[in-house]
Amino acid sequence: MTDSKYFTTTKKGEIFELKAELNSDKKEKKKEAVKKVIASMTVGKDVSALFPDVVNCMQTDNLELKKLVYLYLMNYAKSQPDMAIMAVNTFVKDCEDSNPLIRALAVRTMGCIRVDKITEYLCEPLRKCLKDEDPYVRKTAAVCVAKLHDINAALVEDQGFLDLLKDLLSDSNPMVVANAIAAISEILETSHNAAAILEMDGSTVNKLLTALNECTEWGQVFILDSIANYTPKDDREAQSITERVTPRLAHANAAVVLSAVKVIMKLMEMMDPTSEFVTSLIKKLAPPLVTLLSAEPEIQYVALRNINLIVQKRSEILKHEMKVFFVKYNDPIYVKLEKLDIMIRLTNHSNIAQVLAELKEYATEVDVDFVRKSVRAIGRCAIKVEQAAEKCVSTLLDLIQTKVNYVVQEAVVVIKDIFRKYPNQYESIIATLCENLDTLDEPEARASMIWIIGEYAERIDNADELLESFLEGFQDENSQVQLQLLTAIVKLFLKRPTDTQELVQQVLSLATQDSDNPDLRDRGYIYWRLLSTDPAAAKEVVLAEKPLISEETDLIEPTLLDELICHIASLASVYHKPPSAFVEGGRVASRRVLPPRSGSEESGEILGGGAEVPQQPVQQPTTVIPGMDSLIGDLLDMDLGGPPMQQQQQQQAAMVQQPPQSSGSMDIFGDGLDSLLNLNQPSGFDSSGGTGLAGLGDIFGGMSAGVSYVAPQEVWLPAARGKGLEISGTFSRKNGQVFMEMTITNRAMQPMGGFAVQFNKNSFGLVPGQPLSVPQPLTPNQTANTSLPLNTSGPVMKMDPLTNVQVAIKNNIDVFYFSTIVPLHVLFSEDGEMDKKVFLASWKDIPAQNEVQYTINDVQHSADTTSQKLKNNNIFTIAKRNVEGQDMLYQSIKLTNGIWVLAELKIQPGNSNFVLSLKSKALDVCPAVHQAYESIMHA
Amino acid sequence: MGGIFARMFSGLFGQKERRILILGLDGAGKTTILYRLQVGEVVTTIPTIGFNVETVTYKNLKFQVWDLGGQTSIRPYWRCYYSNTDAIIYVVDSMDRDRIGISKQELCSMLEEEELKKSILVVLANKQDIEGAMTVSEVANALGLSTIKNRKYQIFKTSAIKGEGLDESMEWLSNILQQPS
Repeated sequence: MTDSKYFTTTKKGEIFELKAELNSDKKEKKKEAVKKVIASMTVGKDVSALFPDVVNCMQTDNLELKKLVYLYLMNYAKSQPDMAIMAVNTFVKDCEDSNPLIRALAVRTMGCIRVDKITEYLCEPLRKCLKDEDPYVRKTAAVCVAKLHDINAALVEDQGFLDLLKDLLSDSNPMVVANAIAAISEILETSHNAAAILEMDGSTVNKLLTALNECTEWGQVFILDSIANYTPKDDREAQSITERVTPRLAHANAAVVLSAVKVIMKLMEMMDPTSEFVTSLIKKLAPPLVTLLSAEPEIQYVALRNINLIVQKRSEILKHEMKVFFVKYNDPIYVKLEKLDIMIRLTNHSNIAQVLAELKEYATEVDVDFVRKSVRAIGRCAIKVEQAAEKCVSTLLDLIQTKVNYVVQEAVVVIKDIFRKYPNQYESIIATLCENLDTLDEPEARASMIWIIGEYAERIDNADELLESFLEGFQDENSQVQLQLLTAIVKLFLKRPTDTQELVQQVLSLATQDSDNPDLRDRGYIYWRLLSTDPAAAKEVVLAEKPLISEETDLIEPTLLDELICHIASLASVYHKPPSAFVEGGRVASRRVLPPRSGSEESGEILGGGAEVPQQPVQQPTTVIPGMDSLIGDLLDMDLGGPPMQQQQQQQAAMVQQPPQSSGSMDIFGDGLDSLLNLNQPSGFDSSGGTGLAGLGDIFGGMSAGVSYVAPQEVWLPAARGKGLEISGTFSRKNGQVFMEMTITNRAMQPMGGFAVQFNKNSFGLVPGQPLSVPQPLTPNQTANTSLPLNTSGPVMKMDPLTNVQVAIKNNIDVFYFSTIVPLHVLFSEDGEMDKKVFLASWKDIPAQNEVQYTINDVQHSADTTSQKLKNNNIFTIAKRNVEGQDMLYQSIKLTNGIWVLAELKIQPGNSNFVLSLKSKALDVCPAVHQAYESIMHA
Repeated sequence: MGGIFARMFSGLFGQKERRILILGLDGAGKTTILYRLQVGEVVTTIPTIGFNVETVTYKNLKFQVWDLGGQTSIRPYWRCYYSNTDAIIYVVDSMDRDRIGISKQELCSMLEEEELKKSILVVLANKQDIEGAMTVSEVANALGLSTIKNRKYQIFKTSAIKGEGLDESMEWLSNILQQPS
């Protein structure tokens, strides 16, 4: 005998004994054995080896034994997938048992056995059970369909189970209806094919509403959740559904209440907000929400998270219920913080006094987090309710006097925000703030304080000393503080230039030379250049009036809010994140959106009115308090309206020789600028400014407005192929003409001359407009830049790719050939702006198969800057529309050869991937147009 | 000695259930035979994916009869049921000349099993009601029954549909089972 004997079944031990007992003749003994097996299974012992023996006990008339065996099967079928087939016949038989309990038990267990191999055998019994005479069996079978769908969706769809499931919606028993709709919702979440069969219509909803009143609470939740996914055809239907759902608001189960709230919130979207019906609905919504807050803390929290959303969507619902959100001393901290948040959202001038008194009370509590949030809340109240600002400020001052470290720090942070909202009103308190400089040890508080000092430097006599003291530990500061310190000192310098030069030089060199942080370095360079170029402009930029901040800091973005409203009473509404953000796997349910107001002409003409786009309901734009980090954004986004780039360059060049201020110490600017210019200036800095500007344009993104995009030069003819002649170049469009910009370098040992150029026939008839002008002779290692105007009147021949151009360059040595791609946007003509009506007509005129769609990834522009950028390149935005929170830009392009291209650009907020649809009678140009979009938008 | 007493008592009270397996290729008629034996009627059957187990009483003898599915995918699991088996009823479709070879292979490999050493074998040449079916001797030859050693066995011609031959086979089986070995 070999050693394999050690692996054969043991003849001893627990398993062996159980095996023997399972095969016993005595029913009692058998049952005991199965119980022992289940017990072992529950505590985690592996009893899968007993699978065949347990399965053999399955056919019994003893219900208890059967249940035990089924339990075992559910657990181990997966580990014994082959052997599981032995159980099939018993399932089939049990599904035909005379006892409905056994039928249901069998069908339930079948659904729990997730073994692919046996699913096909289970279809027939399942089909029978779906049509069973007993409702208990039918409702169990309904759930089984969803389970089976999860294992094998195709099988369920092929076998027509979806139709059977849909039939169950008309069942006479409400529990069956509830389970059927639960199963349907489950299936719809994963399957797109199923949607066609299971789509809800008015009559289905009617059946559901009938079942709603009679089924169990969890059944009601299922029904309400699926009604929430139905979009009624008009507001009358919406109203009637709402009326039938409203009684559910009085249910004792919090889940039922929240689901009912969800349905009503969603349907209200469709109704006229001024109607009496809506007003009365809003009144009805408040009491159930308030009642939820008297439940256990955990339920309170869930309710509060949902209320937070509801308040942001429709604050009027709870505007009179402020008191229930007052914090109780024994609330858990998570409930307290959530209540605080809602309190601020509900604050208005009528209840501010009450709220403020509460908040002041909270600020003296012991829990640090809560106190911090309370202090912050006071600041937010000040910003929200202007009338109360003064009171809030004095409250904050009182709190600062307490000298409690974290209270002071939080107060400083919010006072900074208050200063931004109400400039020049409360500066008298700065002195008090300055007294507490030493206590500030958190970056946010330090940064805020520094901002205040910089902003009001002229009123603080020792501002320079204060800032200098911060500067001592510059390297060790948080980057937030560093950035703020840099800006503050520059502000100080611009306000008091005489005695702060040294300070500003110090901070600039710290920022630009000693820091590894690119943000800090970039900001340092920008200030440096601004100051050295034009101190007046710098003053205008740095000390510009800042836009006022307003309202809430952390409003959820409107489209997300709408989506979350559709997920009330789910985890998404507790996380405040869409399900796609936290649900793993393939369950990418389609995004839920609120229904549009019925009556708004959604399906009207696309361009109904470019200007008068219907305002989305309740989506007022809100300015948001910018965080410290976004201040640099303020700076760069500002329209400088400065002189054209070229002039700027010259000014800078002049500046190098002549520092702006005669003081000897200022030459630091000169030096710095030198290196700056060397950094950014390509060696071939040419008169046309083609590439030189492109580099700078990157930095001064905002300033390059009005300049069309020019691709960087690339090498067309390497020296090795050109017998020493190297040509690199690009194409540009200026004043309605195409230019070929070339940099020609002589890398040979002998001078070159006799340059001439010729084009082969090409798709757009491009030909040189004048002879090539290159300084002759071109001595060894000399570089010449030339700009060759091109006409589009030459002979035409379609090339592949379309924008390919073959060029021949001749010199005294030889003739050289190369081919290059013309970026299509240089061929976009200036008269490409189509009339709106013509656009609409042409759009409809061009058949759908002439439409191609592209995605432009990772665009860092808003709709407005995008359309400006495109316009600079002769892509004209004809109309802009906002559809469901997305911006749609409609654009037209005319090529030099008269071909029109129409474009639709879809921009979703928060999504940097734009969708571009192009329509043209000549489809061939579309890839090149797409390429042009890509390069312009990523320039 | 103890064995003899046990047998005597069981004979007296008829308590002990005899364990019988009904085996054979798919479609041979095993399930039909089982229910013919149990309820005496022909029931409509579907292919058995798994097993049926019923208690059959014949002349004071209680049999626990296991009818196992005969499909290729299930045959490997027959061996799970071999232990403590008193008798095997091996059913052959007498019309299925093509697969009689396979049937023989399955029978032979089964009989080699250690656990079935002492089991009695009953071969049923089923579907004799159909014209053109193999005769009993043809089936016996095809299965190579003559080579079986050290085992009590018998072959019967049956028709489960008509109920013919089953009584004879059960009669023979119960007699053998009641003989002291």
